[in-house]
Amino acid sequence: MKTITGESYEIRMEDNHSTVFFKGALRLTGVADYLPISDLLRATLVNPAGPVVIDLKELDFLNSSGITMLSRFVIEARDRTGIKLFFIASESVVWHARSLKNLQRLMPALEIRLT
Amino acid sequence: MIANQTLGRTEPESGEKCEYLALSFSPLSAPLCSRWRNNGLSADFLGDYVTTFFSANGDVTDTPAHQKEIKHAVTYIANEFLENAMKYHERDVDIPIGIRLELTGSQITISASNGVGAEQSDRYKAFVERVLSQDAGELLLCQLEESAAGKASIESGLGLLTMINDYGARLGWQFEGHPRYPGFQMVTTSAVLIPAQYKDANGAGVAD
Repeated sequence: MKTITGESYEIRMEDNHSTVFFKGALRLTGVADYLPISDLLRATLVNPAGPVVIDLKELDFLNSSGITMLSRFVIEARDRTGIKLFFIASESVVWHARSLKNLQRLMPALEIRLT
Repeated sequence: MIANQTLGRTEPESGEKCEYLALSFSPLSAPLCSRWRNNGLSADFLGDYVTTFFSANGDVTDTPAHQKEIKHAVTYIANEFLENAMKYHERDVDIPIGIRLELTGSQITISASNGVGAEQSDRYKAFVERVLSQDAGELLLCQLEESAAGKASIESGLGLLTMINDYGARLGWQFEGHPRYPGFQMVTTSAVLIPAQYKDANGAGVAD
């Protein structure tokens, strides 16, 4: 299990590198500060044995720099062949319904599962 | 002498009774990394502040889901405004960074102001012209693709585009010459939310 933590957030990647969990509120200052998280996400795209799952249902807040980070990840997944990508979202977290649809426009095959 | 300029939609005086809250930050006292945390605290405060009026003023909003949508929209927009103001304000002059929340019975206005030099002012105006002349949704996708391709940094622009595209905010901009610091401008960016357009809690019902 690989974990990145900050004052208001926690990100965990399972040992099989296929699932990443996000929790809390992410408001880092820009792309450079998001790099460790971005690198962790990109690790899921290296020879995945199955679907890649990004679980956002406990991520209550994400600033636009974080949305940029997710967008870059989704575009990279789209541009690789054979990647099956799922996002787990929550109906009770406002930004999920408002902003995740943009990621689907970037990658129509992206599946968003609302819980 | 720098000419004052208004771009986009700024709201005329409606004559409606207005509640407001204004915060002001000195621009010189702490480095960006140490004051970044304050953006989130201040934005959360503004989001919470709005909820005070949910119960006091029945026509601002109604259901808990609707109230949650409005609270999040205010927090998100305030946070983005503060992040942009902290990143791009002119550090060499003592022009405060301000954020203001105004509530009437029918709308919520969040506005942020900061001082900029001529170069930053021109860059920002060029971006605003693009926003005003193109569809925000298309521009957002275009910017995200460009960002992924490693082209020029447009992070602050993405924040503004998500306000329009994802939260249905109407944006306006004012560029004014600063009386104490010739050659510098005070830029005010404002976002207007119409709570009545947030009736659909899953976000599908935001009007243009």
